[in-house]
Order: sequence, then structure tokens, then C-alpha cells
Amino acid sequence: MAELDPGTLVTVVTIVMATLGMVLGAILPALVEGRAVIKALEGMIRQPESAGDIRNTLLISMVLLETTAIYVLLIVLVLIFANPLLDRFFPTG
Amino acid sequence: MDDVFPKVVFKFFGVIPVRDTVISTWVMMALVLGVVLILRRSMPEALEMLVDFISDTVSNMLGRPAEPFLPFLGAIMIFLLLANNLGLLPFLATPTKDINTPLALALVVFFAVHYFGIREKGLWGYLKSMATPIFIFPLEIIGQLSRTMSLTLRLFGNIISSEFIVAVIFSLIQPIVPLPMMLLGTVSGVFQAYIFTILASSYIASALGSGEK
Repeated sequence: MAELDPGTLVTVVTIVMATLGMVLGAILPALVEGRAVIKALEGMIRQPESAGDIRNTLLISMVLLETTAIYVLLIVLVLIFANPLLDRFFPTG
Repeated sequence: MDDVFPKVVFKFFGVIPVRDTVISTWVMMALVLGVVLILRRSMPEALEMLVDFISDTVSNMLGRPAEPFLPFLGAIMIFLLLANNLGLLPFLATPTKDINTPLALALVVFFAVHYFGIREKGLWGYLKSMATPIFIFPLEIIGQLSRTMSLTLRLFGNIISSEFIVAVIFSLIQPIVPLPMMLLGTVSGVFQAYIFTILASSYIASALGSGEK
């Protein structure tokens, strides 16, 4: 196995972990949001008169669930565009 | 790709850096004022529809008449509605892609929540309602801070992600192809403006309490 210089190693690990994190961070909130939508739709069918309230609550809870995905995205963006590890360990000047 | 990040355009008095997002915020403020002044003359019904929509949404969320909070929440909604989509105009940057703009808005919401709460219950009553069982108080403080952070990061993350997607696709294929992504960004920008207002009003509602005492 060829020797990698440490900067390349950190970059490769960063890219792999960023992709993995984004994949997980996209899948899990999407699944949970899907469950929330299913429950809300069932509730709307059962009680059409309270559909407005359910829609409001659904919107807010969807946003709160979505926030976790956004956090993951921000961390991934920081890892890729402003990686603190590269600057700390391998100062390029 | 570098167009996504805000740039310092000039320095105020040589010390305070002014970014392009701030300049486009100024342009947007002039735009809003101009459009409102023109609409007030030519078609006031449109403005009434807008105010009615915001008032309905907010009072639904608050569970009480929206009048005392309407100037604050309506201003936030109109500001974000335009600010999130300002990047569609040529030569202007989206103000909310700079994290300082969402942070400023979230801090305004943070202080406004306490202001409205204290105005409703008095200083002592508000503190007491925050610490009804006394061990809740630290959790309440953490909750206040983290909700400010999440307001900031939610808005910023949504806007910057759509900006990034458009930038990446634009660097791959130049004409027409980024347009659907820009449309998606517009939809999410409008939705985020709505969500920010809804969340701010729900925070205010939780600071006001049930309002029966």
C-alpha cells in the first residue's frame, strides 16, 4: 500500500465521513417525517373537522424534525469547505 | 462556487466591514418601502389581503387576537419572504445566506419573546412562570438558548443549501438546467419565511401562557 501524506488522508477521511453523515442524516429524518405524515393523514381522515389544527401541528413538527437534517448538512458543509482539522494539523500558510 | 459565500465590499470608516448581503438588504428595504407606497395608492386591497393572511395565521397560532404582535411578526414575515428570494434578482445577494442575518433575526425574536412575556405577566410573574418547579429553571434557560440557535441554523441551512445546489449545477451545466433547482429554492424560501413566523409566534404564545389568569 502506497504511503499517503497526512493531508490527503485527512481529506479522504473527511469526504467519506461527510458523505456517510449526509446519507444517514437524510434517511432518518425522512423516515420519521413519513411516519408523522401518515399519522396526520389518518387523523385528518378520521376527523375532517379538525384538519386545520392537525395541519398546523404537522407543519411545525415537520420543521422540527427537518432541523436535524439541516444540522447534519451544516456540519457537512463545514467539514468540506472550512475543515478545522486541516488548518490545525497541516497549516498550509 | 465562491459566489455562495458573502464577500466584504467596503469598510465603513475603515473598520466595520460591510458585506454584499448587507448592501442587498438595504436595496431590499428601499424596494419594500417603494412597493408599499405605490400599492397604497393604486391597490390597497392587496395590502389588506396580506395583512389579513398574516393576522389569521398568527392569531391561529397564538390563540388570541393578533393585534399587539402583528407589527413585529408581520415585519418578520414580509422581510424573510423577500429576503429569501432576493438572490433571484440580478446583482443582488440573498441576505439570509450570510449567517449573521438569521442570527440577528433570531436574537430579535429572543428578546421580543421576553419583552412580550414581561409585559403580559410583570417581571416577577414571568420569572415565576419560568420556574414553577424550581429545578425547571436551568432547563428553561437551555431551551431558550437552543431555540434561538435552532431558529438561526434552520433558516441559514435551508437557504445556503439551495444556494449551493444551484451553484453546483450551474458550474456543471450552464443554461436553463439550474432553473428547476432555483424554483425549488424559491418554494423552500417562502416556506421558511412562513415557518419562522409560525415558530416565533408559538414561542411568544408559550411566553404569554394560557392568558386566563
